[in-house]
Amino acid sequence: MIAQLDAVAVEAIIIAALEALNEELDDADKIDVGPHTALFGVDAEIDSLSLVSVIVDVETALSVDHGLEVSLTDDRAMSREVSPFTDVQALKDYILELLEERR
Amino acid sequence: MDVLTGEHVALRPLEPGDAELTLAWRRGPRARLLLDGAGTVEEQRAWIASRPPTERNYVIELRDGRPVGMLSLVDIDLVNRRAESGRFLIGDEEAVRGVPAAVEAMLLLYRLAFDELGLERIYGIVAEENRRMIKWQRYLGMQEEGRLRRHVRIDGRPCDVICLGLLAEEYRAQAEPRMRALIAAAKPRKEMVG
Repeated sequence: MIAQLDAVAVEAIIIAALEALNEELDDADKIDVGPHTALFGVDAEIDSLSLVSVIVDVETALSVDHGLEVSLTDDRAMSREVSPFTDVQALKDYILELLEERR
Repeated sequence: MDVLTGEHVALRPLEPGDAELTLAWRRGPRARLLLDGAGTVEEQRAWIASRPPTERNYVIELRDGRPVGMLSLVDIDLVNRRAESGRFLIGDEEAVRGVPAAVEAMLLLYRLAFDELGLERIYGIVAEENRRMIKWQRYLGMQEEGRLRRHVRIDGRPCDVICLGLLAEEYRAQAEPRMRALIAAAKPRKEMVG
């Protein structure tokens, strides 16, 4: 199952989490969802409550749909030079890196 | 009551002079899911002035002194070693853009509760429809302990609330590390590698 998860699939999981977030936000707070959406930091599109919502949904999708148990906020993630939560691309790259290690 | 100082924010005691600002925050759309409070500035001022010693009410300030929200520890029971966290609101979302203000404010409150006051348990209630807050609290270690049916009215409608609780060991094992991780996630990378 893990081997079937490629960059496109991982990005789709993240985009789905962002779209689910948008469903919970008021119209004024909805974000533009796309491959380059900034997540958290100085250029953030979303606040920390929303970031956690995305993290939970992504971790759940990886676990329930793909049998992959990961913690996206462990010490390793936080010690990276580029935060996995900078934007969609950074998060996708980090997840793909985790997947590659498990193959 | 001391100021609690973090890396990005500080919690300073709520004062009657904060009445106008905090009432404005509570009237904002983001506070729609909070429980009802004072209706006027005078009522808010009187409410702040009458807080009992079993409460620690704080204004969340950025390190440059800008007030951006509020947070409280209430019903502090040093005999049973428990307290309720609540009145949590980021009132100025623009000011905290890119700043992990909410996470660090809650971490400072937990440190006060568990490390300084020696509490065993923090608990709270969140309106059922405030799903992002429930998800956030659960991710940061809170356990769902029950539901109070039609416990509050929001927009004139009865609403269930979800009861959440966090024990000291859960704070140390899960909440505190995840909070530190989320705070680190907002740092510019040059701070991480310098």
